[in-house]
Amino acid sequence: MEAPPVTVLPVSGGTINMMEYLLQGSVLDQSLESLLHRLRGLCDNMEPDTFVDHEMVFLLKGQQGSPFILRARHSLDRPNAPWHLRYLGQPEVGDKSRHALVRNCVDVAVSHNLTEFLSEMGFRMDHEFVAKGHIFRKGALKVVVCKLYRLLLPGNTESTENLSLSNLVELSMLAPAGQDTVSDDMRNFAEQLKPLVHLEKIDPKRLM
Amino acid sequence: MQQREEKQLETSIDALITRVAHLKASLQSFIIKLETEYDRLTWPSVLDNFALLSGQLNTINKLLRNEKTPAFRNQVIIPLLLSQDRDEELAKLTEQRVPVFSHEIVPDYLRTKPDPEVEEQEKQLNTEAARMGTDVAQKQIQALNKLCTNLLEKLNNPREDRESENAAIRQNKPTFNPADTNALVAAVVFGKGLSNRRPQGSGGSVPPGQTVGGAGPMLSGGPTLQQVTMPGAPNQQVAMGPQVPNQPGQPGKMPSSIKTNIKSASMHPYPR
Repeated sequence: MEAPPVTVLPVSGGTINMMEYLLQGSVLDQSLESLLHRLRGLCDNMEPDTFVDHEMVFLLKGQQGSPFILRARHSLDRPNAPWHLRYLGQPEVGDKSRHALVRNCVDVAVSHNLTEFLSEMGFRMDHEFVAKGHIFRKGALKVVVCKLYRLLLPGNTESTENLSLSNLVELSMLAPAGQDTVSDDMRNFAEQLKPLVHLEKIDPKRLM
Repeated sequence: MQQREEKQLETSIDALITRVAHLKASLQSFIIKLETEYDRLTWPSVLDNFALLSGQLNTINKLLRNEKTPAFRNQVIIPLLLSQDRDEELAKLTEQRVPVFSHEIVPDYLRTKPDPEVEEQEKQLNTEAARMGTDVAQKQIQALNKLCTNLLEKLNNPREDRESENAAIRQNKPTFNPADTNALVAAVVFGKGLSNRRPQGSGGSVPPGQTVGGAGPMLSGGPTLQQVTMPGAPNQQVAMGPQVPNQPGQPGKMPSSIKTNIKSASMHPYPR
């Protein structure tokens, strides 16, 4: 009997092996309206979408090496929506020819009892925050403008506190590995937001 | 006399055909340019094309108004033969646009007046317009003008607002703070500045609903212990409440002592 041919490629549901291209920046609260105004003009015509999310970051510490990190997010204004679990790989800054930060990215929609499951697996929550803001799209480009809040009491999303007087602005795009040309589109888009916001590839290692 | 008129008609039709051919050629080249070179086409060259087209349309108009040109509207064209078969000659003449001279397409191509229904509608509109008194018409015109000026004002004012806003930006008022950017990115990536949880998590009390993040669920004993004590506490309260009303602190103490047990137990197996 002959075995069926086996593919060497990883079994992919379409999302595996996707890379996230990312540019980050911030805008002060008093200039937020101007930025939103500009984004409304630049992005695809759609219903303005706002969100209030609670993100928890879980760590699994192994015997050696760096811990394994998973990010769980759920919507506070749409409690019935599925939770969102996200794995992000080490960001690569790359050279000057690539205009965006690149990191491996796996997104999964999960059920509401995710935290129990992760705890059973040995994950421990490292930190959490609430993000409140707006999301825009332009083709495959995603623009998120959000304000970050620190939780005053662990787990209690009711009482929160501003992290700063600025809003985080993230421009991101998902693409298969190696498609660095998408970063050109991102740079072009970022150029149009100047001088309101300067979106840059920020190496997180620099901020450790 | 008639022969001369016929000849005049023929020459003017020939002239018209060549002008239309010119117009068609420049339209075609413009469309090709738009379709193939849209990415490097400059606005001035688009304007040049439009100017060319408008000049050609003007010459055609002049030609039609020329005294020597006989009035084409006086000529009648009657379809003599309709056929369902493909006519190669006709297809060639019309560049494959009209391959068949059939009853289906003839009314469209030889039409000189609007559809009867359209004509009827137009007539209705005309009578309606005629029936209306000048006063009413004047009033409606005024209302429309008022609406238009209002709308224009509304459209112009935000522009002023925006311009003042832009002026503010031009005055180098900062719209972003690089330090904030770094702080926000560090918060999202490492949780920097958010970590008031960690010192509390090790020493402070863990709220009952928040067992997920705490150290308790790490070991199998933790949750079960809690599950046993939590329903136990209210029962005690119910049983003891009426008998010993002046000891409300006791049921509260029990679970708390168990909680510290959990914590010491949880610290224990983890490093192993």
